[in-house]
Amino acid sequence: MKILNRLTLVAALVLFICASAAAQEMTKEEWQKQMTEFTAKRNDLRNKLTALQAEVDRLKKEDADKAAALKKCNDDIMALVGATPEAERAFAAKLDQIDAKINELSRLSNQDLWARKGEVDDVQKMLDEVEQNKMSALPKYYNRIKEQQNRIDALKKSLEAAQIAMTYTVGTWAKDRDCLWNIAKKPKIYDNAFLWPKIWQNNREQIKNPDIIKPGQKLKIPPKADLTKEEKAAHRSYWQRKQAAAVQQ
Amino acid sequence: MKKSIGGLVVAGAMVAVLASGCSSKPSADELKQLDDLKAEVSSLEREISAKESEKAALMKAIADKNAQLSQCEKDKALVQERLKGM
Repeated sequence: MKILNRLTLVAALVLFICASAAAQEMTKEEWQKQMTEFTAKRNDLRNKLTALQAEVDRLKKEDADKAAALKKCNDDIMALVGATPEAERAFAAKLDQIDAKINELSRLSNQDLWARKGEVDDVQKMLDEVEQNKMSALPKYYNRIKEQQNRIDALKKSLEAAQIAMTYTVGTWAKDRDCLWNIAKKPKIYDNAFLWPKIWQNNREQIKNPDIIKPGQKLKIPPKADLTKEEKAAHRSYWQRKQAAAVQQ
Repeated sequence: MKKSIGGLVVAGAMVAVLASGCSSKPSADELKQLDDLKAEVSSLEREISAKESEKAALMKAIADKNAQLSQCEKDKALVQERLKGM
C-alpha cells in the first residue's frame, strides 16, 4: 500500500515537470511564426535605413553647399571693403584704443576735462580717420563707431558746459556783504568760502587786490573744482603779503 | 479500488511523458537562426535611431546657415550702400 502511494506521488511529480517543460519549450510552429515576423520587421528596417541614409547624404550635401555660399558671401563683403585679416585686426585695435581714450576722458570732471581739451580733439581726429576707412562700413564696426561719436559729442557738451562760466555781479558791502570770501561761500556759487582764490585768479584783469572789489563788477565764476596749483600759490602769496604788511605796521 | 486509481495515475504520467517527447521542436541551428535575426533587428533599430539624430542635427545646421546667409546678404547690401555714401 505504501509503495503504491509513493509511486503515485512520483508519477504526479513527473507529470508536473513534463507539463512545465512542454509549456516553456518552443514548438516548430511557434518558431516559424517568429521567424516570419522578425524577417518582415528586419526587411522593413533595412528599407527604412536605406531611405534615411539617402536623406542624410542629401542633407550633408545641402549643408556643405550652404557653408560654401556663406563663406562666399562673407568673402564678398570683405572684398568690397578691401580688408585683409591683418588690416582688420589693426582696425579693431584702433577702435579699442579710441574706446579706452573716451572712457578715460568720460571719467573726468568738467574742470579736468577742460584742462585736457586737446585730448578730446585728438580722439575726434582718430575717429575721423577711422570713419574714412572702408572697413567702418562693416556691420560689426558701423554701430560701434556711431556709439563712439555719440560719446565724443557728449564730451564736447561737457566742455561747452565748462566753458560757459557763470558770472556774478558784485553788490554793495552794506547791503550784500560782498567780498570774494563771502561770494565763494554763497550756496549758488561754490558753497565753500575757501575757494575764493579761484574767483580771484580767474578775474585777475579786474581784481588786482583781492581785498578790493567794486559794486557792479561782473565776475567770471569758473566751474566748482579744487584749487589748482597756481591758485594755491596765489593764495599763499596773498597771505605772505598780508603778514609782511602786518609786521611793517 | 485504490490500486486501480494509482494505476491510472501512473499510466497518465507515462502518456504525458511520451506525448511531450513526441511533439516537433525547432533544432538548435534553427533557434540560433532566430536569435541572430532578433539581434539583427535590434542592431538595425539602433542604427536608425542614430541616423535620425544625425538627420535632425543636419536639418538644424542647415536652418542656422540659411539664417546666417540671409543676414549676410542683407549686410552685403548695407555695406554696398554705405560705401556709396563714403
